[in-house]
Amino acid sequence: MRAPFRFTTVMLVMALLLSLFGAAAAQDGVTLRVWTGSSSPVENEFKEAQVAAFEAANPGINVELLISPDYGAQIRAAFASGDYPEVFTVGQFDFPQWQSDGLLATGEAIEAPEEIYMGLKDAFTADEQLYCAPKDFSTLALLYNIDAFEAAGVALPTSEWTWDDMAAAAEALTTDDMVGFSAAADKFRWMAFFYANGAEIFDEEGNVAFDSPAAVEALEFYQSFVANGTGNLPGNLNSGWNGEAFGKGAAAMTVEGNWAIGYLNDTFPDLNWGVTEIPLAPNGGRATLTFTECWAVSSRATGELAEAAWALVNFMTGPGADGAQAVAEAGFGVMPARAQFADTWLEMVGQEYEAFVTGASYAVAPIFPLGYADFDAASNDATTLVMTLEEDPADALADAADVAREIQEELE
Amino acid sequence: MADPAQPTAAPAAVAAAPRSTTKAQQRFSDALAGLFFVGPGMLVLFVFLILPLLVALYFSFTNWSGTRPLDQPNAYEMVGFANYQRWIIDGRRVDDFYRAVRNTLYYVIGVVPVQTALALVLAAIVNQKWLRGKSFFRTAFYFPSITSSIVVSFIFLFLFSSGGPINTLIRAVNPGYVPIAWTTDNTGLGHLLLSQFGIVRDTLSPFIRTEVLGLQLWDWIAGPSVALSTIMALAVWTTTGTMMVIYLSALQGISPSVYEASQVDGATGWQQFRFITLPLLRPTTFFVVTLGLIGTFQVFDQIYVLQNDQTARTTTSVAYLVYSTAFEGTSPNLAEASAIAIVLFLIIFVATLLQRRFVGGDRAEA
Repeated sequence: MRAPFRFTTVMLVMALLLSLFGAAAAQDGVTLRVWTGSSSPVENEFKEAQVAAFEAANPGINVELLISPDYGAQIRAAFASGDYPEVFTVGQFDFPQWQSDGLLATGEAIEAPEEIYMGLKDAFTADEQLYCAPKDFSTLALLYNIDAFEAAGVALPTSEWTWDDMAAAAEALTTDDMVGFSAAADKFRWMAFFYANGAEIFDEEGNVAFDSPAAVEALEFYQSFVANGTGNLPGNLNSGWNGEAFGKGAAAMTVEGNWAIGYLNDTFPDLNWGVTEIPLAPNGGRATLTFTECWAVSSRATGELAEAAWALVNFMTGPGADGAQAVAEAGFGVMPARAQFADTWLEMVGQEYEAFVTGASYAVAPIFPLGYADFDAASNDATTLVMTLEEDPADALADAADVAREIQEELE
Repeated sequence: MADPAQPTAAPAAVAAAPRSTTKAQQRFSDALAGLFFVGPGMLVLFVFLILPLLVALYFSFTNWSGTRPLDQPNAYEMVGFANYQRWIIDGRRVDDFYRAVRNTLYYVIGVVPVQTALALVLAAIVNQKWLRGKSFFRTAFYFPSITSSIVVSFIFLFLFSSGGPINTLIRAVNPGYVPIAWTTDNTGLGHLLLSQFGIVRDTLSPFIRTEVLGLQLWDWIAGPSVALSTIMALAVWTTTGTMMVIYLSALQGISPSVYEASQVDGATGWQQFRFITLPLLRPTTFFVVTLGLIGTFQVFDQIYVLQNDQTARTTTSVAYLVYSTAFEGTSPNLAEASAIAIVLFLIIFVATLLQRRFVGGDRAEA
């Protein structure tokens, strides 16, 4: 249905690129250094193919691609020296720091930014300016073991499920060998419930609200599974993370992202599982968390180099056939950042994973503002203490919120 | 470095000196030649050891995030002792720092004596003349040391997982056994012991909640957690072999005539060990304990593999804290990590000095 549109877009992009780089191609050419972190072999090959396609389409531009297994440390050393690549990936958690360090060029050149999911753009926006182009993203959803539900005679979860439904199901599913819910002691899991319940880190007046009644209620709900034995931490289920506990059949439900699709299907081919949206909060609220990465251009790239860099970024993330569409068609764990290709991605991976895509429309990127590192650490601590049943959710959140308040006072 | 200029340089320097050299002049040219020879080594040491240390010291007094390019104006500001204050004196992170110090101390105190004693015993055993299959035992004991610590850590993770071989084995012997979550249990052994006598925090006077260096007294007496103890067992298992080899070579260096002489005097086997072997091994013990201290204070890789969200509070070591502050989390900070690293350096330095005083490396070496 989109073929004519796709074709014209491709032609337009090509025309644009050719007109932009006609001059560059005529000369000796430019060399772009492009750095990114290493992920699965399939994704690394995909990035290499994208770059090769770009080079083929732009004879005047050479690309030196570095896929680093220790990206964080390597790019930081490059930043420190001041001699860093023209194009590189930025994770949502690094963005506030790197942006304030002046490492990133502003993203006026990003093609058709209106097609990119709002939540992803928010993650890479500072002072109302979008800096870099989201590459792809993941959201959290509720994974459930269909066989376990059927064996226990519990109706399968739906997108209309509430917290109460989830708690009741967890109780019914808990047996000697399996708990209802695998609940990692990770704030980037329970905060999906936090946002769903209407809680925020800062309220509308900008006051710290991390310990609001809604926040406490969310953490109490998440902790209740461990407290009443209908759930457990993955470590106590003989597993390194939620996905493993769920795959092994040690837990009938868990909250994880779309990265779990490939892992579960490869490692546990016999697992009969489904996925639905995170259950509705008592007030009917809905939320999930999103995790994303973008391709950014160095603030030090100027002139021809900057043009070439943006051309590459648009080539890899734009609406063209080699950009977001290719991400969708590759059909691996991550989803394309542009909404119009969500269907393509689902066709590739399977319609049963629709909940991950649905979540994108209301997903929140959990980001702690710059200067709040201590609060970040304190909220991790609070999560651990609550999930190991050493502290009460209200006290733990109050302690963490006090740290945020102290920082806020200092910053003012 | 094979520098062809080097070997000829010293004689040339000597030859160049006038025939009527005074003692002082001779000494000076000797010193010059000496410097010339150690020069390349000193240079390497300076560039790769001393310079980074000084740079780390310098940055620990700045607010440099680690990502802002240093050639940029205002890349960082000098903030004096602010980073030290934040982490070590009375800032917001003192509890994290001293918790890591506490974990590291437990680790050092638990691992060093055990691995030293065990290494000595093993070395003494495999050094016996009557032992058959000596080389088998020597290899077997040394084997864990030459295996990558990351690999060994993963093996331990598997062995000690809650449904793993260790728990299965214990359950086979004792069917009533409730499986221990070896790698994820945060309960301190000290607390566990106290609870056997019905003592928990709430039964003690409120004095136990007094905060000392960011932690309640109750937390200071927690003892290593079950998870940390598992990591300690792993450390003992992997490093004992190396220490054993060091002891073994020292044992073989002791002249048999000393033992023969003592036999003539009617010394028993135990007396020989106590009054001959042990004193003669003193420099080796000093060496082994020093290595052990430095290695355990810097423990990183086993922690990196074996810890998780659940156990972070009871397993994080100071060296791991340096790493996580510099590279992990949502806002890494190199200046703060440098400050912690400098303090870790001071701790190790002081510990080695103290140890030198007590084990007496100097006297023994003489």
